[in-house]
Amino acid sequence: MASKSAIPERVGEAAHAPPTAVRTEDDPTRDSYGTAFALLAPAIALYAVFSLLPIVATVGISFTNSGGFNTEAQFVGLDNYVRASEDPIVWQSLLRTFLWLFYHVVLAGGLGLVLALAVSSLARGKVFFRTTLFLPHLVSLAVVGVIWANIYDPFYGLLNTLLASLNLSHLAQGWLSDPFLVLFSVNVASSWQGFGLYMLLFIAGLQNVDPTLYDAAEVDGASAWQKLIHVTLPGLREVLTFVVSLAMINGLKGFATVFVMTNGGPFYASEIITTYIYRMAFQAQDHGLAAVLCIMMSVLAITITVTFNRWRARGAT
Amino acid sequence: MIPSRKDLPMLAALVPATFVIVAPFLWLIISSLKTEAEIGVGDPFALPDALMWQNYVDAWSVGGFADLIGNSLINVAGVVLLMLLTCVPAGYALSKIRFPGREWIFYAFIFGLTIPVQAIIIPLYQVLTGLGLINSLTGIVLAQVSNGIPFGIFLMRSFFLGVPNELTEAARIDGANHFQILTQVFLPLSMPAMQALVIISALSTWNDFFLPLVVLISPDVQTLPLGLVRFASTYTTSYRLVFSGTVITFLPVIILFILTQRRFTEGLTQGALKG
Repeated sequence: MASKSAIPERVGEAAHAPPTAVRTEDDPTRDSYGTAFALLAPAIALYAVFSLLPIVATVGISFTNSGGFNTEAQFVGLDNYVRASEDPIVWQSLLRTFLWLFYHVVLAGGLGLVLALAVSSLARGKVFFRTTLFLPHLVSLAVVGVIWANIYDPFYGLLNTLLASLNLSHLAQGWLSDPFLVLFSVNVASSWQGFGLYMLLFIAGLQNVDPTLYDAAEVDGASAWQKLIHVTLPGLREVLTFVVSLAMINGLKGFATVFVMTNGGPFYASEIITTYIYRMAFQAQDHGLAAVLCIMMSVLAITITVTFNRWRARGAT
Repeated sequence: MIPSRKDLPMLAALVPATFVIVAPFLWLIISSLKTEAEIGVGDPFALPDALMWQNYVDAWSVGGFADLIGNSLINVAGVVLLMLLTCVPAGYALSKIRFPGREWIFYAFIFGLTIPVQAIIIPLYQVLTGLGLINSLTGIVLAQVSNGIPFGIFLMRSFFLGVPNELTEAARIDGANHFQILTQVFLPLSMPAMQALVIISALSTWNDFFLPLVVLISPDVQTLPLGLVRFASTYTTSYRLVFSGTVITFLPVIILFILTQRRFTEGLTQGALKG
């Protein structure tokens, strides 16, 4: 469509253009069409086959009874959507996904902010603390899962042996076997890995806060707390909204720690949307239901991104 | 490092907090040097009587870590190379060449930035199966690059948009075509952006778990995180092997990070803020 409408326009433009040699030779739309597509072709080819096609196909699969043993998938209308709405695990896993997002924003985002404020306030040793505190972010979330499964191990784990060596054995818990504790325990592991990036972003944001505002606040006799509330946090607003949206998206994509540490258990107590998608798609081989969950997940991701972009755009004006 | 007197109250809080955050690393490293009988007994941070370096030798051979690391390196190299080859030219075309439909192509890429890879995994698996790319490092590289392309293009485009158009126009008047402008003028200029792209895609590929879990089925093609999880679930009762194997997976990246931390931090921060 774009090329059809563009060609007559260009011919017309050339006809009306002043007859100078430089103008026609330098017309940037003239020879660039082919060049542009040559430069874009590798990216478009890969992206079309491995991203766009699967996005469209997911919607298609959600209307079929495709599965591991179905060689000929049939159109089943809204059947999968009805089944999803009637499946209590779908609703529970959605609810737990929201809880998981909330934990991650508060734990990882909060820790990132507090540590960024602390590190930035130092006169000496900023780089040392920034580097040391960032170390957990370098570890793969799957490896974090292995590490924390051992930390939470009821017998040999760091947490319970530490409590025992401090004579606090009564505080020892089945961190991953208690259904009311498990989602939080696993989220602590994810957030331990996640906060480092948020901390770096907050540190970068703090460097952009106008230092004269602190001097002005000082002159006005503001306390440290008042400076934080009235100067630092407003100055960080843009980074703050960015980190919250990033943390929500990262939380939504959370999979590896849950998969490795509990595989959604005990009895679905830590099942979130990604682990349920994996279970439905690759273990139960119920592609139709899994595709409905995939669409729900995409809608959530788009909603988070659009909401935060609007919010930021409004804040910028 | 001599602390500044003014910092002392803050350090009183920050030092213990930092210790708590790195405690899992310290505990793992100390435990990885213990005998099976010493693990889980007494003070978890106490050094063992004799350092059991043998644990590392055993874990290395039992876990097949040489192959896992080799696969991970091939995986990272493939992704980084393809990311540069696709995103740098595409970012240039979408910022410095004017052609009809440019905005639409850009939006199509940006759309992909919002869709999580888990949400397209069923047809992605089918596409890879159809192309005979399941259980192959080529397959995982192509899927990861496609997944990273929206971010990479966004990053490179924002960087190129910051380069004045006069530079392109001057080169055009001198008779250079866009390929020449890109390779001779823009590549040397765009080192910081490419550095950010390399760091971010290398780290996320090295640490990726979900796509390898789905695509890489047999142990001989698996990457490090997947291999470690398989190792840890096979030798659940052999803590000394699991601990030393875990240290093997994270120590190289941590050493590399400490050696290059300024560039690394800069690249990661700038990349994330632009992307």
